Amino acid sequence: MARAGDTVGDTLSTYSGHILAIETSCDDTCVAVVTADGEILSNVISSQGVHDRFGGVVPEIASRQHLTLLPKVLDEALRLAAITLDDVGLVAATRGPGLVAALLVGFSAGKAMAAARELPFAAVDHLHGHLAASFLRPSEFNPPFLALIASGGHTLLADVRDHGPELRLLGQTLDDAAGEAFDKGARLLGLGYPGGAAMERLAADGDPEAFAFPTAERMSGLDFSFAGLKTALLYKVRELGEEEALRRRADLAAAYQRAIVESLLLRVKRALRATGATRLAVGGGVAANGPLREALGSLGVELDIPPRALCTDNAAMIASAARFTPALCFPQYLSLDVYATGEPRT
Amino acid sequence: MRVVAFDTATARTTVALRDLETEDNVCLAAVVDLALADDPPPGARPGHAQRLLVMIHELFEQAGAGWDAVDRIAVGVGPGTFTGLRIGIATAEALGYATSTPLLGISTLRSLALGAHEREPDSAKLAVIDARRGEAFVAGWGSGSDPLAAGPELSARVLRPDQLVRVAATSGTRVLAVGDGALKFRDELERGGASVPAPNSPLHLVAAREHCRLAAFGAADPTRRVEPEYLRPSDAELAQP
Ligand SMILES: [Zn+2]
Repeated sequence: MARAGDTVGDTLSTYSGHILAIETSCDDTCVAVVTADGEILSNVISSQGVHDRFGGVVPEIASRQHLTLLPKVLDEALRLAAITLDDVGLVAATRGPGLVAALLVGFSAGKAMAAARELPFAAVDHLHGHLAASFLRPSEFNPPFLALIASGGHTLLADVRDHGPELRLLGQTLDDAAGEAFDKGARLLGLGYPGGAAMERLAADGDPEAFAFPTAERMSGLDFSFAGLKTALLYKVRELGEEEALRRRADLAAAYQRAIVESLLLRVKRALRATGATRLAVGGGVAANGPLREALGSLGVELDIPPRALCTDNAAMIASAARFTPALCFPQYLSLDVYATGEPRT
Repeated sequence: MRVVAFDTATARTTVALRDLETEDNVCLAAVVDLALADDPPPGARPGHAQRLLVMIHELFEQAGAGWDAVDRIAVGVGPGTFTGLRIGIATAEALGYATSTPLLGISTLRSLALGAHEREPDSAKLAVIDARRGEAFVAGWGSGSDPLAAGPELSARVLRPDQLVRVAATSGTRVLAVGDGALKFRDELERGGASVPAPNSPLHLVAAREHCRLAAFGAADPTRRVEPEYLRPSDAELAQP
């Protein structure tokens, strides 16, 4: 197992120079430059924004956008870091899990860039990346800790005992991700996509106690489930009727948001008890949610919530994870392929 | 001029490295020419991501050359499978960027037609690639028209089988149709009067060595960016009212 400062194994490549990382697992086109000791030189994220009118990410559209945006985002990342490719010692790219067609754009480009210069290459697991966001400077938060990652793509709890790359998953969502629950709820309430921020704003004017939405409380263990919650909101809106539902939109949003936060909080508390952890790191886009931050802040544990740009999908976290992922020498990585969500890490 | 070319628009990964004498329009022998194809089951993806860079590496090993000896990179821009096109183009752009080598996008249909023209210069040529969903990507060149010198007279498009019959019937007196789509729609093409070579004919295979010729002699200027020829919007856009 690699430790900080011990970034590459004996049989694998060593490198000197900066880490250039690419992330295209979903709908954000991301490139970052990070130093070998975890300092961010640039972290460029190009959110596509084209999915709003479809109410969710459309893989083919996301993949087309990645191909169009990647060269510009790459240029921008190098420019902001004030380096050229000559200063890069390691290339990293997200290998999975994610949308295959989207992953393939960044992963193909990353492998090719490394190959052209015969540089070592690190194939990074996206979830390892989310955990590794905490390892970045200047506010390094190092293991051991309990991690909650909640975004539109994933919701999980992990026991982080070292810098990885192995994941010790304690629980994950059995259906929708927490961010997805926000999006779907927002849609039912006539809000735009993505729905998290819009719902939070609306909920600020509502009464969270107005309705009792399910938190899958009786479901034991550390897995999450949000499908029942979404259905409960749908039925409640129908029951109230169009006019009344519109009039009580803020209450519905507040109660719905509360159910998501409670559901997350409940499992975090269980996990803290089960592992005896006293430190908690939170990542994923949902970490930006005010009521969630407040609730987690009152747990009495040492809490790390990286800045928003490091919580949502980004390439700095991929570079951070690359520091602790065995880097393959040229040409060993040329035949690597990506893996989809749900496919085994091969 | 030394050109490295590859294409991932169809199930076949094809790569070539070629020396071409531009002044006399003479093609020297292909230095190296490699191809691998697979037949993935429905729902599975072809192995371009696993093969492409390995084959390019093999190309250089066999040629005993490196990137510093390459003047141009040529990549097939389709039409073909969307994911395949993006693997090829993302790879080409990154290689071009990292080695400061000029890049050219080559129409996969034009490359196919070039192979057919070599065989039968006096025939009209239809390059046909399977577009799935019962349709074909097609581009056409008239009798005597050299795809090396000119773009298609029938510009690249998506056609249904009944439209293929009509296009074959109106393309000329002698029409040669090539490509995996020509094999798939042999009945329609032959009904329209076109001739389709036997299934094992190399004329049906996309070959990167033809891309090399187009990149060396074709009119287009090298750039850093190339655009895939999708020819079809994404499903979600199609579904939009
Ligand atoms: Zn993510």
